[in-house]
Amino acid sequence: MVGALGLLAGFVAVPILSLVLWTVREDSWHAMASPVALEALALSVKTTSATMVLLVLVGTPAAYLLARKDFPGARALNTLVELPVVLPPSAAGIALLLAFGRSGLLGERLYAFGIELSFTTVAVVMAEVFVAAPFYVRQAATGFLSVDRSIEEAALVDGADRVRAFFSVTVPLAFPALVAGAITAWARALGEFGATIIFAGNFRGITQTIPLAIYSEFQRNIDAAVALSVLVLGFAFTVILAVRHLTRRATEQRG
Amino acid sequence: MPGKRGGRGGFRGARGTLALLLGLAVVAAASCGGAGGEGNPGGERGGTLTVFAASSLTDAFGELARDFEKRHEGVEVRASYASSSTLATQIIQGAPADVFASADQQQMQNVADEGLLSGKPRVFARNREVVIAPADNPAGIRGFGDLSRPGIRLVLAAEEVPAAEYAEQILRKASEDPSYGPEFRRAVLDNIVSREEDVRAAVNRVVAGDADATFCYASDVTPDVREKVRIIEIPEELNVVATYPIAVVRGAKDPGLAREWVELVLSGEGQRVLRKWGFMPAAREP
Repeated sequence: MVGALGLLAGFVAVPILSLVLWTVREDSWHAMASPVALEALALSVKTTSATMVLLVLVGTPAAYLLARKDFPGARALNTLVELPVVLPPSAAGIALLLAFGRSGLLGERLYAFGIELSFTTVAVVMAEVFVAAPFYVRQAATGFLSVDRSIEEAALVDGADRVRAFFSVTVPLAFPALVAGAITAWARALGEFGATIIFAGNFRGITQTIPLAIYSEFQRNIDAAVALSVLVLGFAFTVILAVRHLTRRATEQRG
Repeated sequence: MPGKRGGRGGFRGARGTLALLLGLAVVAAASCGGAGGEGNPGGERGGTLTVFAASSLTDAFGELARDFEKRHEGVEVRASYASSSTLATQIIQGAPADVFASADQQQMQNVADEGLLSGKPRVFARNREVVIAPADNPAGIRGFGDLSRPGIRLVLAAEEVPAAEYAEQILRKASEDPSYGPEFRRAVLDNIVSREEDVRAAVNRVVAGDADATFCYASDVTPDVREKVRIIEIPEELNVVATYPIAVVRGAKDPGLAREWVELVLSGEGQRVLRKWGFMPAAREP
């Protein structure tokens, strides 16, 4: 079993190491500090943050409902929320464009009021939410499912109202699943390309997130593209490590 | 930052976290708003020019955009570079493009068919195909004819990619040419070991030494790879030249400004910049 883990880790590590080594060889560290790179990084940080806030605020109660209530149509709703996972990102982008573009199903009506969603930074967040939502909701729901209802009921019996029971009993117990789901969703949002470029376009500083910047640099300068890839790798690694560390401390404190 | 649920399980702690999250959401939403501002309104003619251009034009148009902004005080040029098919789809769905510069006549035609162009498209650049091999040329390819030699690892972009389609057109022309013939074409096609997602990926394979050769545009030999590949010219009588059309999109915010951009691209200055980045001029001198 250790061998299997080692094999998997090695398989993931070697290509990543190759990317880093290429950067060192080609001396393209300065590409990581270029305006294109920094603008893309700032935009990715901004949009994925907004995406995560939305997902946690809306997705958590949604996941709880899906886990607890067995209402007619629950299974269909569950499947609906899962759908973006199987949709190729470009198809998701076209779908968003057809729905919210200027000539879109809803977009046309919004445009009549002067609201334009497509090709803006908001569109980037929308695309990210669309593709990343299932990853959070799914794991959050699984986490809530694993919380023993009898513990929740005990809290209610002790005089807590539903909301208080939710925050002081259910959430802490489901916490590891919520964090894992959030990390997965964030990673998915950070790497989103197809839906973003089609629905939001590729405008530097406004919609050119890191994956779009990597694609654009790849068209003209392979070394810069690799440097950017290493940059986002480093960034993601740091964030995930930090989150895991912070949440481990939090669960230890509670224990 | 992901995973923002507070560590403290108490109700008060959760309330505080909730407030923090809501605050963050408001800030994030506020800073995400807008599609990029208008240029300096106090300038002579402020405003934004939105250009949709094929990815291969990133460097050339980037340079021209800086020129244009210098000449038109207060104007901001914002460009979105993507594949021509993506751009055409977006324009047809109402994207706020003022100008469309395509690497493909077909995509421009698709937009024109929807009645979304203002005036007729004009050819602003041409691009010829070349064959490239790694600089050290392990397969020893010295001329176009060498491509049919068995054992050569040839890669091409995927079938729908225009550059690959042109490559196949070139081979078809070669099969009708007595100096090459149909066996040449068959032998070259047999040498294809893989199809890549796009031209750049194919170029990258050659740069990395993974492949012995590929077909690409002359403009794909960007400065960063110029030293790492050697160019093998395709005989002129066989070569297919891609023509790049540009047009003002109907419904452009400032059609006059859009037309001025088109004029810049077509001018001597524009043609010089395009040539610098590997493109051929728009028209052969009559």
